[in-house]
Amino acid sequence: MKKNTLKIWIGCGIFCVLSVVLSSWYAVTYNDSRLVVPMDAGSYTFQIKDLPMILSVSLFCIYIFALVIGIMVCAGKRQKNMLKTNTTRNISPKLSFLGLFGFLGFAGFLTYPIDGTVFPFMFFLFFGFFGFFYEGKMSGTFMDERFRENTVRAQLTAYKTTFVITFLALILLCRGKLFGSLEYTLIAVIIVLSLALACGLFLSEYLLYRYDHDDLTEESRE
Amino acid sequence: MAEFKCRLKKYRLLKDLTQEQLAEKVGVRRETIMRLEKAQYNPSLKLAIDISRIVEAPIEEIFIFD
Repeated sequence: MKKNTLKIWIGCGIFCVLSVVLSSWYAVTYNDSRLVVPMDAGSYTFQIKDLPMILSVSLFCIYIFALVIGIMVCAGKRQKNMLKTNTTRNISPKLSFLGLFGFLGFAGFLTYPIDGTVFPFMFFLFFGFFGFFYEGKMSGTFMDERFRENTVRAQLTAYKTTFVITFLALILLCRGKLFGSLEYTLIAVIIVLSLALACGLFLSEYLLYRYDHDDLTEESRE
Repeated sequence: MAEFKCRLKKYRLLKDLTQEQLAEKVGVRRETIMRLEKAQYNPSLKLAIDISRIVEAPIEEIFIFD
């Protein structure tokens, strides 16, 4: 994505968020918090004062939809470019910092006792993004036959590991109640699946890097 | 699995080519040529043929399977 295009997207995003914040403020101050606090949708009747909130939320939804489409189109273009130049995609190893979001998964242990929310456990999946570090290091690498072979080998090992973890978890967890509660079983399933997928994402990049770089440091140019 | 030997280095030096030059000619990375010379990588038939054409040596002379 070009820098100018990125700036436009960020600008639009800021505008959408600001419009939602302002319309929320308007609704709370002048419209009895209608459409801000939960209300019965069945008995809803339109009032002209609801218009700012409806417009800003609609705008925000359109923005999110357009953003998703934009990202997909951009990813498609990159994929085409990769095929054309026969090199790996260019990404920054700094993207691996996204893996730190994985620690948010531990928030589930706080939210579950309070209100029974379990979705934060899903954040463990983000640990897999530490793999961006290795993918970033191999940015722009020419994909010759040995590289492609190594890619397949690394992915196969990663998928096998994911499969084994999932399989073992299935055997252990299908017994039903964990510590006398089915909810604990659900939590264990979410954690294990997230970690298994994260493991698969990370391993495929890490192993590819290892296969591609093993012993190379010892070699000298001839 | 059959033991694999590779005499690529000998023929490459006879043609006075560097690993990088040979890699460029056959469309692979230098690391791949390096692995080939150490007999750590088993090339595809296409790559083997391409290499034998570049170094002008019979394929069975460069790659030997015992």
